[in-house]
Amino acid sequence: MIDYFIAGIRKGLRLHRPGRSLLILPDDIFLVSFPKSGNTWSRFLLANLLHPEQPATFANIHRLIPDPTGTTKKDFDRMPRPRIIKSHECFDPRYKRVIYIVRDPRDVAVSQYHYHRKLMRITDDSPIENFVTRFLAGETCPHGSWGQNVASWLATSEKDPRFLLLRYEDMVEDTARELKKIVTFLGLSATVDQIAEAVERSSAASMRNLEKAQTDQCELTKGSRKDLSFVRSAGSGGWRSELPVSQVSRIEGAWGSLMRHVGYELSLRSVLEKSDSSYLGILSKTP
Amino acid sequence: MIKRLIAGGRQFFGLHAPGRNVNVYPDDVFLVSYPKSGNTWTRFLIANLVYAEKNPDFSNINDLLPDPEAMSKRNLQRVVRPRILKSHQYFDPRYPKVIYVVRDPRDVVLSEYYFDIKRRVIAEDYPLPKFVSRFVRGELNHPHGTWGENAASWFYTRREDPRFLLVKYEALQAQAMEELGRMASFLGVSATAEQLAFAIEQSSANRMRELEKKQAHLWSSTRETRKDKPFVRSAKAGGWKSELPEASVAEIESAWGKLMREMAYELASSMVHAGLERN
Repeated sequence: MIDYFIAGIRKGLRLHRPGRSLLILPDDIFLVSFPKSGNTWSRFLLANLLHPEQPATFANIHRLIPDPTGTTKKDFDRMPRPRIIKSHECFDPRYKRVIYIVRDPRDVAVSQYHYHRKLMRITDDSPIENFVTRFLAGETCPHGSWGQNVASWLATSEKDPRFLLLRYEDMVEDTARELKKIVTFLGLSATVDQIAEAVERSSAASMRNLEKAQTDQCELTKGSRKDLSFVRSAGSGGWRSELPVSQVSRIEGAWGSLMRHVGYELSLRSVLEKSDSSYLGILSKTP
Repeated sequence: MIKRLIAGGRQFFGLHAPGRNVNVYPDDVFLVSYPKSGNTWTRFLIANLVYAEKNPDFSNINDLLPDPEAMSKRNLQRVVRPRILKSHQYFDPRYPKVIYVVRDPRDVVLSEYYFDIKRRVIAEDYPLPKFVSRFVRGELNHPHGTWGENAASWFYTRREDPRFLLVKYEALQAQAMEELGRMASFLGVSATAEQLAFAIEQSSANRMRELEKKQAHLWSSTRETRKDKPFVRSAKAGGWKSELPEASVAEIESAWGKLMREMAYELASSMVHAGLERN
């Protein structure tokens, strides 16, 4: 009851986080991904590019590129338009312009495992097998499984010119090139130097430094373990050394076709032979 | 400001309809479809099977298989569990068990067209081809995405999941016993052939038409709509073949042809068909 009351007052003062009830405006742009797929990095890249006068930090990122579950209604109402909004939601037809970042689920599993240790949701000795079981079932976050989240967007929107698909691995390989794609998609212009500056300011080293200084000012890390960092390896392919073959095989067995569809090479021949490459691309042109 | 206060007050007492924000319980079952795809009929079929002793009709169907877009949060919490809820939502990863009813989009658009006339959303002489174009672009006044988005968002995320059951409206027309039987076992309800036959009889188009005549004013979807147009209309499959202009058929098929084929809806437009073969 008292909780209801406080929630009511917060709402009256617009201090609540709108979540799914966010009022979406026709010119909103959404930066969407499954959790642990490079969303925060992309937020920094975009914020640093669009607001060079105000370097992105863990303390201000929720106002620069807001998150419906982390930013207050009041801050949303104050934002200049068009807004760029971060989201982990599965397909939502109200999102008209979408940048979707996909990451290799084998790396996502490893990243989320370590993040849950940091959040103290699991202990250090918690077996990764158990985590992968819950990861496959979509029980490690409220945004569906990796496969559901990715498939919900690709099956509905891949063909849509207002939908831009980026791979985390390509961003790691050539960040400036991928950021340029976003700039073009948004109809903006940016010089080579401006892009290089944004990339530099959002580098893993720079984000690690900011994280150390601001860990308690950020929704993502507040109250979590200090001995583990949010900005971890910031690379791709870590699963090859960190994930047991048995777990790789479970992930590929569950989502092999979808993984191939977005260009992730499967490591297990048995899965490769079974997987059906025409699986997706239903509302898209070529798989 | 006043509006916000009233909305806040309603929310405080749980009097608002939560819609997409409905609280989901782990034992919930959702009966999902795009609008005008046989959801009401399926609701009656299931209600007449599972809650036969309540004599389901238009006056109590909203209570038996509630709709989170029509029922208040408070009442939704009071529904006896396990709940069977009706929904038109696009994919929601929180829905545990889902029966998804899909219908040929060429018939869906016709049904929606007549329903919008009944609801006075469009005039009786509104051009059908224009309506079809808006339907394909997702510009109708409901928040459930396009037919293709709605169907694809469920199909490609859940089709291999044992907690997902796909039911085709056309199959339900052709072989109601089998399809209702599949739904019953999916729901974990044991049903005899007599019970299935009874539920089908109680939910026949004729009986629903009779009920609608008497009860249109008791049901949220028909209250305040035109009395001269029925909610339960043809209740048939394939009406598009005679009613839908060829260009409109082609428009729908070129938007969603691949998905339609995947769901075994035969394409009529040879051009679209050939285009898909080339890909």
